Amino acid sequence: MIKNYLTLALKVLKRKPFYTFISLFGISFTLMILMLITSMGDALFGANQPMSDVDRMVFLPMLERYTEFYDTVYTVDTIVMDDGSLRMDSTETLEPNGSMNNSNGQMSFSFLDNNLRDLADVDSYTFLSNSSFIDAYLDGRKVTMGTYYTDARYWDVFDFNFLHGLPFGPDDVTAANKVAVITERIAENYFGASGADIVGREMILGNDPYRVVGIVERPLKDDETIAGDVFLPVTTIDNRQYTSTEIYGPFQAVFKASSPGKRESIKQQLTFLAENYEVPPDANYEHIRMYSGTATESFAANLMQTTDTERAKLMLFIPLFVLLALFLALPLINLINLNVSRVFERKSEIAVRKAFGADSRDILYQFIFENLVLTFIGGFIGLVLAYLIIQYVNANDLIGIVRLAFSVKIFFYFILVILLFGLLSGILPAYRMSRTTVATALR
Amino acid sequence: MEIRGKGAKAPRAPFTPYPPYPLYPFKMIELQNVSKSYRTDTIETLALQHMNLSVPAGEFLSIMGPSGCGKSTLLNIMGLIDEPTEGSVSLAGKEVTSYNGTKVARFRNEQLGFIFQSFHLINDLSVVDNVELPLLYRRVGTKERRRLSLEALEHVGLSNRAGHFPTQLSGGQKQRVAIARAIVGRPNIILADEPTGNLDSHMGDEIMDILTRLNTDLGTTIVMVTHDERMAKKTHRLVRLSDGERVS
Repeated sequence: MIKNYLTLALKVLKRKPFYTFISLFGISFTLMILMLITSMGDALFGANQPMSDVDRMVFLPMLERYTEFYDTVYTVDTIVMDDGSLRMDSTETLEPNGSMNNSNGQMSFSFLDNNLRDLADVDSYTFLSNSSFIDAYLDGRKVTMGTYYTDARYWDVFDFNFLHGLPFGPDDVTAANKVAVITERIAENYFGASGADIVGREMILGNDPYRVVGIVERPLKDDETIAGDVFLPVTTIDNRQYTSTEIYGPFQAVFKASSPGKRESIKQQLTFLAENYEVPPDANYEHIRMYSGTATESFAANLMQTTDTERAKLMLFIPLFVLLALFLALPLINLINLNVSRVFERKSEIAVRKAFGADSRDILYQFIFENLVLTFIGGFIGLVLAYLIIQYVNANDLIGIVRLAFSVKIFFYFILVILLFGLLSGILPAYRMSRTTVATALR
Repeated sequence: MEIRGKGAKAPRAPFTPYPPYPLYPFKMIELQNVSKSYRTDTIETLALQHMNLSVPAGEFLSIMGPSGCGKSTLLNIMGLIDEPTEGSVSLAGKEVTSYNGTKVARFRNEQLGFIFQSFHLINDLSVVDNVELPLLYRRVGTKERRRLSLEALEHVGLSNRAGHFPTQLSGGQKQRVAIARAIVGRPNIILADEPTGNLDSHMGDEIMDILTRLNTDLGTTIVMVTHDERMAKKTHRLVRLSDGERVS
């Protein structure tokens, strides 16, 4: 019977090419776009190497120093005394007048090191500087490399995939050893090849020779905490930056909470620390504020050009979800519409089938099956399209360093969603038709 | 005879289940006091009034009457595709008035074959697939279904058109396919609603010949609604209706 439903479904689809084309186009195109969007989302926010623990991370990219300005407000109370004389009381209060002097920036190593080492609920943390570029010269060619100065814990927080060699350790950092972890791409650019034999070789970065200790796979996204070309021990950075006692500097911090739920605790501790921070008396600001956030919050804050991470998240994602819902609704309504008209168009067929012995269940199954076949074919086309586009985008670096991955899990999730709509849109009209009396339908 | 279950074997030469009319004294169709009314919000239309009719097995009965006299309603009630407002219907010795759902679907499948004035073939299916329909719902295996369908098509002289689609056929051919579909499941009763109504007289005669042959060779009980006096004369008995009542 199932084989028969299948043959019939295919026959029906083949006999109505235009209808089939429209349906398939709707299904496959929607599915393709959804796959691309989720693949993009997964690339940006998913738990992929080297951010496998992204759901436990709290990012502290910068802090804000600010001074609030106050106006002195005089209040005068006039009181009539018993003897008819007037008495005046005046009070003076300071009220913020809404204007503020502020500036944002990354932090100094000493500020992070002195204040943020002992937060509770933190599994691991790292301080890193990502704002340097070093030129290396090779056969007259200049290779510019984004250089990250990190501590040894950086490699605990971020699980880079080491193709060859190992990360540098705490001893290297303490001793300020000139060692480097480089990406595969830089290995190819600089040495002409990436292989195990590159480990141990020297490269001249700026004026200093560094020994390569590890080669990592190029990360699939360009998050500012991981998108370096070369990673060096933090102690090898320009000494003035390492020892500066200013609050500002080129560093930021990433914390890995003991569990995703503890991220809020870390954020609260940072806020508390900032509120109670003792500003040096000679400073030209009065308060500091630290903007920490989860990966999505930081992304949104960055994109929306605001420092309020919570608000940025709402500002970015609510419109995004509304748009996505609208985008989904249109083809799905179209699908429902097509299904409804298709079932009603075949009213007499249903009646004939019933006259020759089909019961309501047979009719229902037949239409459900047709919908399933259609959805699966559409899904398959969508899958192939999405796969091709992802390959194309990746091969041509269309969105920078970001690599789109193809998630089978997500694909099946969307097939389920579309199936659900296909079923709902098919079942209701088919059910109604399967209930009509044959005589009425044949009249 | 019953064909049941996947791959069930049908007998090889089953086309003579009953001796020819009038040797079989068994009431194949029995209507007692059947009435049918259609109700809308404001008016009630009586389509059939207290109809009594009994059709012995093997009879070829025709029903005539002016348009709207209730002929088709009567046929639909006999075919269990419409329900009487009151009265009882017995088919093939079974009281079927209370049948519903799966039971009525199964009964229609095994005992009844329909032929409609406008053929009602499924255009998406080939001729042989159309003919197979009753066997499909009887869960007969693919090969057996195909064999029986080709046999039925042969019976109406259309085995060379098995792979065609209904839209490629003439009216007369379509009606012959419809007859093949009606007889493929070897039903005891065939109900034909103006089977020659959409055809010219030559093709109409051909269809009548097939039906007559079906009746005499196989003993199938046939009830035919018609407007054509000439066709009605070829049947065993004629019942005339007027305003939902029997007049002869």
